[in-house]
This record gives sequence, structure tokens and C-alpha cells, in this order.
Amino acid sequence: MVLELQKPRPIWQIMFSTHHTDVGLLYLITSLAFMFMGGALALLLRVELFSPGVQIIADSMTYNRIFTVHGTTLIFLFILPSASAFGNYLVPIMVRFKDMAYPKLNAVAFWMIPPAGALIWLGFADFTWYAYPTYSVVSAPGPAADMWIFGLKILGVSSILGSINFVVTIMKCKHPDLPLSKMPLLAWAYLTSSLITLVAVPTFAAALLMLLTDRLGASGFFNPAMGGDPIAYQHLFWFTFHPEVYILVIPAIGFMYEIFPRFSRKPIFSHGSGVAAFTLLTIVGFASWAHHMYATGMSFTEKTVFMVGTLAAVPASAMHTFNFLATMWGGRIKFATPIMWAVGGIALFFSAGAGGVVNSAMPLDFITHDSYWVVGHFHLFVMGTILFGTVGFVYYFFPYVTGRMYNEAMGKIHFILSFVGTVLVFFTQHILGLFGMPRRIYDYPAIPEWVQMNIIISIGAFIIGIGMAIFLGNLVWSAAKGKPADMDDPFGLGGKYYFPYQAKNPSH
Amino acid sequence: MAQVELNDPIYRTTPERTTKMMVIMLGICIAGGGIFFGMWDYWISMPPPAGLLTGDVGGDDHGGSDKGSGAVTLTGVEINSALSFIESSDFRVLAFNALPGEEGANPTINANVGDKIIFDVVNDGKSFHAFGVTKDTEGFSNLIPGSEVASMNEPLKPGESGVSEFIPTEPGTYYYICTVPGHRMQGMVGEIVVTGAGAPAAAAPPTGVSHDFTFDFVESDDFRTLGFDKLPGEDGANPEIRVNSGDEITVTTVNAGKSFHAFGVVSNPDDFTSVVFDSEIAAATNPLKPGESGSVTFLAGAPGTYYYICTVPGHALQGMQGTFIVE
Repeated sequence: MVLELQKPRPIWQIMFSTHHTDVGLLYLITSLAFMFMGGALALLLRVELFSPGVQIIADSMTYNRIFTVHGTTLIFLFILPSASAFGNYLVPIMVRFKDMAYPKLNAVAFWMIPPAGALIWLGFADFTWYAYPTYSVVSAPGPAADMWIFGLKILGVSSILGSINFVVTIMKCKHPDLPLSKMPLLAWAYLTSSLITLVAVPTFAAALLMLLTDRLGASGFFNPAMGGDPIAYQHLFWFTFHPEVYILVIPAIGFMYEIFPRFSRKPIFSHGSGVAAFTLLTIVGFASWAHHMYATGMSFTEKTVFMVGTLAAVPASAMHTFNFLATMWGGRIKFATPIMWAVGGIALFFSAGAGGVVNSAMPLDFITHDSYWVVGHFHLFVMGTILFGTVGFVYYFFPYVTGRMYNEAMGKIHFILSFVGTVLVFFTQHILGLFGMPRRIYDYPAIPEWVQMNIIISIGAFIIGIGMAIFLGNLVWSAAKGKPADMDDPFGLGGKYYFPYQAKNPSH
Repeated sequence: MAQVELNDPIYRTTPERTTKMMVIMLGICIAGGGIFFGMWDYWISMPPPAGLLTGDVGGDDHGGSDKGSGAVTLTGVEINSALSFIESSDFRVLAFNALPGEEGANPTINANVGDKIIFDVVNDGKSFHAFGVTKDTEGFSNLIPGSEVASMNEPLKPGESGVSEFIPTEPGTYYYICTVPGHRMQGMVGEIVVTGAGAPAAAAPPTGVSHDFTFDFVESDDFRTLGFDKLPGEDGANPEIRVNSGDEITVTTVNAGKSFHAFGVVSNPDDFTSVVFDSEIAAATNPLKPGESGSVTFLAGAPGTYYYICTVPGHALQGMQGTFIVE
């Protein structure tokens, strides 16, 4: 899995390189490693929940620690870095520049991730990836909780630095012959998601500092015993993390915008509507944060505002979906592994979106609040859309990084297992939520419906786990002994590709 | 931009390089795993300073200061204290029972640890008052649970009255105050002097008599009302238990509801940590699940009025408490 960019070099030279493809490779390997680690934690949780009573996790605190690190790892150490990985490879090439605008800053942004990952994984905090007060202020035991706070702080700075780099590279280093409107949609995805990052993330950075000083007893922003307001933390948190959902999903949609036209052998149906939809998502992403907090006693007017703001994301998402469908329509589609993942991704994106729309209606929200419905909805988005888009792009990108082809049959089996597993797990979780099972519990009473559905969910999770084991084996085996790829047209599609495997490509 | 040679050699990954990469990554994972499992418990060994300051960290398994349990051996002595809120005509001076300077103003109550002080307070003034006992020498916070009558948010209106109890658990000076802000400074404060662990009423020697009781935990459909055997308001709910000191009691509880419950006999129904006689069945941290049952056998100790409650926080308030009288 080592990109032989210019010529074979010692691995430490790749590690300390500031070249965009080298940094991209480091991002890619790190994020995939964390994906497998975070996914393994999810399997532990599902073994524990397979049936009522204690299975393998001895106490509730250990369970809480495991799911806290599961969530933190997959959001901050897998999805964000994997988006940065492909951005590093492709954004400079797409805007026809020799490298990122600030290569050293780029390397610094990457190298903040391993220490942050070490802090999160060694500490294994127990207050969920929300870290809501008052538990996180007065009860969550340290130093794990403080390590988590510092880790997230470092990751926040890292993603702000990365975003500055993307924005400057795109806005200032773009080739003068390439107008912004003609820029590829994946580059647009990086531009818009970086802008969201720059606006949204500083809020959470501030909230983290307040949380830390609150924990030390030096301040009482969120500590009711000192006159603080825990709900204020929720507002600060969700002001960052609802837009964060779009930070995560926009690159994944950008990946699909690369995959669909190539494998349909047709140009994208409407470049302009893709740009418009990205821009719309950037704006409306900031109008919906409090739909996570209907149950905190907001007034009816506030709830209505955020309900409408949430629904405003629907047209933009639908524009993407229809753009994909119209691109495939009438194309000579080659159903190789990457486009299978992309198609599965939009199917699940639609399902997750439909659940989100009904859930943004206040009356249903009060029923589903803090139930497994929410778990199912959120995971259907991050797994069904974001991971599917990302994994599809990993397959698409594999020959460019390694010069070798992955095993196509294994890739398809991986897709089928993952798709079936995802539907089993996350659709069932929606229903389980309607049957009243609360989220974040490590044991549950033996209510027959709950037991049946939890068994289905756990079996689905194991199916995903088998698929991911196949994925890991495929990556390692194909990087070592895969058949050499035709580097001009690895998928045999014809047409124009970006050539990240060369520092300068012939299409420049 | 220089013309790029299209026949640049293509470099591909090799088994050697891939193996080296995997060895590096597995090495990091193994070394990290050693630290990870070696330090597993250390990282959660310290409660946050903010929690220590406010005393919110309970004595659970994962560190934290043990606040000690509210359990105390009852002496069986009951002290009745009738107090009334009195105001001067200009409302500047406030006091209990009589204005300061007059006889009987803010009477000092003397008690022993384990005595039960029963307050019967009545608002004889024209403004709002509320009652509570605190150990703080000033201010109106840190009220002892169970000692309050009304609160500053919902005070006693003129003419209203209320009853509360206070069982001192350690010697020292306590204060009974009006908890409406400012009223304590204006004079509505009296002392409760608690001297050492007086003479706890000795538990009678085992009498050899044994009683068996069975309680079901029941819940209303909306989970708002809870009770033993029946819901409060129905016949047979929370039956009163009378036993003699020294009797052997066997309690069997069945969780007939859908949520978690636990059982204990306590000296203070508002404090689920004040379990006496080693009478717990399960505990709030490891409760009885629906359908489970448990039983406990213990000797009834010193005479007094106790309560049997569900020790899951909040459940006693929702109705799961009954009287347990030891004679």
C-alpha cells in the first residue's frame, strides 16, 4: 500500500515528505487503520447486545468507554482523514497546481492526527462522543476525559488547518484558465466542506476549552452547581456538529460525482446543479442544529424554525440524487466494484434522508428522541452514504496508489455483504427505536420484540464484519501481489481520468 | 510547464514494501495495545476536580470521595418541635416562635445522634416562608434532604403549615432556618445542638420470632406512579409493617414492573443511601431486572419508625415507600 510516486524510497522519506500525494497516502493509511479499529469496537458492542444479560463486557462503564471511542474514532479519525486523503491527492491536480498551497502546513495538519488518536485510544473516555455536561463536567473520570478533550482539540485544529489549505489551494492557486464554475465537482465538494469547517469548528473548539476549565472547577459555564447552563453546551456542540454532518457527507457525494460519470461513460448530467446543491447544503447546514434538541424545552417558535431549516436540506440532497440517476440513465454502465458502492450509497442515502425528514417533524421526534431510531438514522447516513462513497472511492483509487488492481470478485462480495448487513442493522434499529429501546444502554430487559430485533442487528453487524475482513485481506493481498494495472485506463472505460500516480500528468 | 515524458516508468507496490508497511503498522498496534491494556484502569482513576468541589461524585467503584452513607442507628427518641414563623410589624425582624429579645425566640433544640426531630412549622406571618435544616453557618443552601418544608420557589403562604423530619447523623451544630433568601440574615435561624452518639436504643436480643413479607414492585402504565403491591391510592398499596425489635424478618421482592428496582429499609425515605439493618435486595447500581426477584433476611434493630423504599433514585418519591415500624 505504498504509493511509488517518483521512485521507490525508504518509508521514512514518505513519512516526512510534504508532497501532497505523500501526505494523502499517510492520511489514507491512517484513516483506514482507524476504520478497522473503530469497526472492531462496534462488533464488541453488538456481541454484548446480542441478548439480554452480560455477554462479554463486564460493566456499563466499559461499555460506555467502548462506544465513546467507537464514535469518536470513526467520525474524527476515519471519515475526516479519509476525505482529506483523497483531497490531498486530487485537489491540486484538479485545480492544476503543483502541490497544496501550504505543503508544510499540510504535513503538520496530518501529523496532529496520530497524537490525537493516541490520546483518544489510550484514555478511552466514557462520556460518549457528545461529552454532554453535567456528566462530563462533574462525574466523568479523568484523566481519560481530559485526554479526550485534548485529542478533540488537536483534531479540531488539524481540520481547520487542512480546510485553510484546501480553500487557499482552490481559490488562489487554481489555474487561471480554469474558471471556478468549470472546476470538477469533487473539488467543489472540498471547497464547500472546507468552508463549513472554517465556520463551524471554532465553536466546538471554544466549547471544549470551557468544558476543560469547568472540569477543573475554574469556571462554571456548564455546571449548574456554579450557576452554569448545560443546555448552552448542547447549542455550542450542535452548532458545530450538525454542519459537521455535511462536512462528512459532502466529500462522499463528491466521490460519487467522480465515479458515476466514469463508469456510466457519460458526462455528469448537470454540473451546475451539483455546484448549486453543494452551495445550498453549505448554507442550510447552519439552520438546523437545534433539531437535535427539541426535547430540551425550546419554544414552539424555535422548534418550528429549526424544523423548516432541516427540511431545507431536502431539495439540495434530492438534486444530488437525481443528478446521479440522470447521469446513469442511458449510459453504458460498467458495474465494477466502485459504482456498485456508489449506487448502494445513493439508495441508502435516500433511505436515511427519508427517515431524517419524518424525524425532523416535532411530534415524531418526541417519540424517537434518544431511542434506537436515532442510532439507526445517524448510522444509516454515516455508514450507508459516507462509508459507502468512501469505500467505493478506495476501490476506484486503489490502482492509482499501488499500480496494482484489487480483486474484483472479492470487492463485489464485500459490497454485497456490506449492503445486506447495513440494511439488516440500521433499518432494524429504526423499528427497534419505535418499539421503545433507548440508546446507549448496555443491557436491556428480555422483551421479546427487543430480543428478536437485537439478534437481527447483531447478525447484520457480523455480516458487515465479515465483509470488512475480506476488504482488509483484499487491500493487503492486492497491494503485494495484485495483477499490475493498466495505468492509462485501469478499469477499461476509456475517457479522461485524473492521474494522481504521477506528479505531473499528461493531461495538464 | 515542461513536456512530460509519457513513457515514464510505472512503479508498483511490491510484496516486500507491503510487508514492511504491515509490520510497521502491526508493531504500532502491538506496542500501543500493551500500553492500552496495561493502563486500562489508570486513565479513569481520577474524578474531575469540579465534581469533588460540589460533592457530586459518588462513592462508586471508579474512584471519587466516599461521602459516607446516611445510615445511622436510631435511638428511638422522637423530639417534637413546633415552630412558627413570626414577623415584626415593619417586617425588618423575623424569627421563629417569638421576636428576638422576647422569651422563646428561636428555641435551641438539643438532640443526640440518631434522634428523630419532627418539625411542625406554621406560617404565622404575612409574607412567604419556607423551612429547612442546614449545617452551613450562613446562607440557605445545602439543606439536609427530608428536612425541608416548602422551598423558596414554592414557599408556605400565610397560614399554611407543614411537617418534616431530621435525623442527625453526626454530632455538631445544625441550624434550622427560613430558606427564603435574606430571611435567615433577618433573624430566622435557630440552633440544633447535636451531642455525641447518645445512647442508641439497644436492639433487643433476637426474639426468635420470624416474619415473612413479600412485596411486588408495580408501576402505572405511564411509569409516573410506582408502589409496592398496588399503586398508591388503591387498597393494599405500600402496606404498613409492624414488627418487634429483634424479630427476624425475611423480605422477598418480585419486580413485577418493566423497569429496574431495588429494595431497602431506610431511616430517611428521602435518602436512598440510608439503608439500615443490612436489608438491601440488589442496589441502584445493580438493580433487579423485570421479572427477577430477590430476598433478604435480617434482624430488626432499634425501635423507631423506618421506611422501606425502592432504593433506585427517584422511585421512593414516585410512591415506592411504605412505613416500617419497629416496636
